[in-house]
Amino acid sequence: MNTIKLFVSSTPKNLHLRIAFTLFLVIFFIALASSTSMAQENAETAEVAETVETEETVETAEPEAPAEPYEVVDYRNFFGLDGRLAIWIIAQLHLMFAAFVLGVPIFAVIVEIIGAKSGDIRFDNLAREFTKLLSAAFATTASLGGLMAFALYGLYPGFMRYMTDVFHPFMFIYAICFFGEAFCLYGYYYSWDLLAKKGKWFHITLGIMLNLFGTALMLLANSWATFMMAPGGINMETGTVQSLYHAFYNFLWMPLNIHRLIANVAFGGFVVGAYAAVKFMGARSHEEKAHYDWMGYIGNFVGLGALIPLPFAGYYLGREIYSASPVMGNIMMGGAFSWTFIIQAILIGMLFIGGNYYLWNGMSRIKGAERYTPYIKYINIIIIFCFAVWLTPHNLPLSGEERALIGEQYHPFSKFFGVMAAKNAVVNLLILSTFFSFLLYRRANKGETMPFSSHGKSAKVALIITAGLTILYLAWYALGLRGIELEENIRQYLSPLITCLVIQIIAIVITILLTFANRGKFAQAFLFGVTTITSVMYMAYYGFVVMEKANLVLRYLSVAQVSIVISCLIVNTIIDIFLFKNAKEVGGIQWGKIPLRAQYALLLLCVAIVTLMGLMGFIRSGLRMNWHIYGFMQDTSAGAFTPSIAYMGWTVSLIVIIFLALLAFVFWLAGLGEKKKQHS
Amino acid sequence: MGKKKNSYSMILVIISILVVFVIIKYIAPYVFMIVLAKDHTMPTPSTLILWYMILAILGALVYVSTSDLKWAKFLSFILPAGDDKTKAILQKMIIVAFPVLVGWFVYSGTAPGTASPVELRIQHPTLLQEFEKLENPFAHVNEETKKRYIEEGKILYQQNCRPCHGSKADGNGPFANAFRLRPINFTDPGTIATVVESFAFWRIRDGGPGLPGASTPWDSAMPSWKDTLNDEQIWKIIMGEYVTAGVVARQREKIEH
Repeated sequence: MNTIKLFVSSTPKNLHLRIAFTLFLVIFFIALASSTSMAQENAETAEVAETVETEETVETAEPEAPAEPYEVVDYRNFFGLDGRLAIWIIAQLHLMFAAFVLGVPIFAVIVEIIGAKSGDIRFDNLAREFTKLLSAAFATTASLGGLMAFALYGLYPGFMRYMTDVFHPFMFIYAICFFGEAFCLYGYYYSWDLLAKKGKWFHITLGIMLNLFGTALMLLANSWATFMMAPGGINMETGTVQSLYHAFYNFLWMPLNIHRLIANVAFGGFVVGAYAAVKFMGARSHEEKAHYDWMGYIGNFVGLGALIPLPFAGYYLGREIYSASPVMGNIMMGGAFSWTFIIQAILIGMLFIGGNYYLWNGMSRIKGAERYTPYIKYINIIIIFCFAVWLTPHNLPLSGEERALIGEQYHPFSKFFGVMAAKNAVVNLLILSTFFSFLLYRRANKGETMPFSSHGKSAKVALIITAGLTILYLAWYALGLRGIELEENIRQYLSPLITCLVIQIIAIVITILLTFANRGKFAQAFLFGVTTITSVMYMAYYGFVVMEKANLVLRYLSVAQVSIVISCLIVNTIIDIFLFKNAKEVGGIQWGKIPLRAQYALLLLCVAIVTLMGLMGFIRSGLRMNWHIYGFMQDTSAGAFTPSIAYMGWTVSLIVIIFLALLAFVFWLAGLGEKKKQHS
Repeated sequence: MGKKKNSYSMILVIISILVVFVIIKYIAPYVFMIVLAKDHTMPTPSTLILWYMILAILGALVYVSTSDLKWAKFLSFILPAGDDKTKAILQKMIIVAFPVLVGWFVYSGTAPGTASPVELRIQHPTLLQEFEKLENPFAHVNEETKKRYIEEGKILYQQNCRPCHGSKADGNGPFANAFRLRPINFTDPGTIATVVESFAFWRIRDGGPGLPGASTPWDSAMPSWKDTLNDEQIWKIIMGEYVTAGVVARQREKIEH
């Protein structure tokens, strides 16, 4: 009876939701179909042109033609849908699942190692839960990969013929690595209980092997993608392979590898965070809530941790794209793709705000955090300010009247905020502020600290080694800058950068000495201050000087800026670890007592990073414009146009929805076994 | 039991948002006028005001919801005012102001007006492949010849480009005011300093008429100079133009690994 009542009372609500969702999907597909009509129209025009040509040839041909010869085609469409669109969707979905499957094992193994070292079973269980999600997503990744390969060979046979000619030896290696990955993953997952006691380290080795095979797979596939952007090792006229090594290790390969590796970890972290958020909201018992709260925290921690170096890796990749082809670089940042970077800026801003918001809300479940909450408003103001500068475009949409009132090409806001010098400065400030939030969170429940000298020699040695390595890196880069061969009038602009690096080295030494003198907190603040003054304030100003007088120096300025910020993060982290070692606890963390708003923030983070990956995938691939292999093999199909921003927006949104739906389905499947266990 | 003090955090949030609006809308134009020594104010574009205000509201809402207590205090302002007369008046003001504000947005968004359309411009149109590898033929001549060419280029620049781009290459030529989209100010480091020389060559040679279809909307009044100047003259103009503007072209980087 109760069930019937429940059914009756819940049906209308569910029904409304279903109808609303169906309507939404219908509208979505209609809109998508109308955008794709662009492609179809192009295809039709091309077909008409072809028919006209054929008609002309028919007129001149012999009336009795022999049986039709076998025709080699270069392009086909996907059941009437443009081939490019089909590949776009399939490839992006495959990449998203692959990112999850490659990113999660990296931190699953790390969490397992922490568990094995500390003997805390919670870490072991968490690593196991990550792996459960992994094994569920793995098969989907592989299926999508298969579909993608078939689609590529089916829809672009001409292009794939050439790619196979060049890369076939690596394709076999890819297949072998795939076997390795599959065996290691299933071995890792299913031997968890078997190796729990005696063979723990063997189990961890399996996990590391899984990572190695996964990374190898990614490196192989990356090489094909970057070969298409910046081909190497082939004759650009005839296509003859001159050096397979250079075709494989092409110019953009390494920058993309680094960028994708870090991005995969961030992606995995945020997706896992969203999974935990959903589970948290559905949890009934306190234990379950506490567990998923903690899991969400770890997911956000991993995601934010990887997000911090990501802009640097992205900048490196972007800069190398400029080096590979100034034209591609200009299209990317100043041309047809520049508006997509504004969307990217919004999404990255959302990630930083969302990540910080989660941390701030999380502080409410920590007793003692109230000492640090007053700082939140200042960090918030800084982050919002950075976000505003970060998304201000160089070219604004202006009406004629506004343009007349301003009286020149650029409004000062866009003139100063819209260029790389300002954006580099604010992204560094954004990272420093987020890191500061982390430190506050970490010390929220810590009270009186032990003096640094009480930690003994090992602490001193660890601090000296870390600071020493950081200083060595800074010195190495400064010396490198001195040795760069440039024209004398440009070279002089390098010396302020060297001075900044030297200042940072001195600051690190002073910080270490202060820490040794038991003034750790002051030392951290001092290093923060110096870093902000040199890398954010001074270098923002100097960026404009360099842009005007010697833009070639801008690339060195960005690297110096990043190096200074990273050195601050590393040294301050290690000081923080020892500073709060054995510190008195004010009150424990009450896991599970986090506002639901924070869980919605985790969901937002997941949607934002999935959309971001969809968008950036489009940009990376779309930069080739109408080339299969940039500068060598042109795409002559009807769909080889650069999509408008609206068309891109619809397609990326569709991809995001499909991915999230598939992911939810796969995770639900993974949870079925557990439910059965609980039942029995 | 002591009387509970009412929280005014909602009012503080509203005031902060209004302060940000006043700064962006009314103060910034005068600040830029003074700082940049202009003879007129620099009004903030409506798109930017909209974006910045969204950010300000987002920032304020993020802040008031960072803990349950803050969020509860923020929302508590809509609870009955009791004896607090100031609160009662402020509540009424909010209740009146909110729909008025929404109504004003709807009205200003839908009322027919005569404004020219807002255009989404792209900074750099896509350079054609044939120009990508093009290099300045005078890049490797000796210093003396280079100086001579630069001087020749400066003269050619003043003869052909000055009317629009100005004698100092600052986009303030005598014809400049006649254009809706003003000629580019080359001394701005965000313009010709960000492109390679072959890009400048393409823009001078083919001008507005030579822009690819994909680069629209892009209304450029730049004429095509290929029928008036030969390639050598264009390269010399480029050399002279960068020196006149005091900026350097983007340098090609050596690919190595």
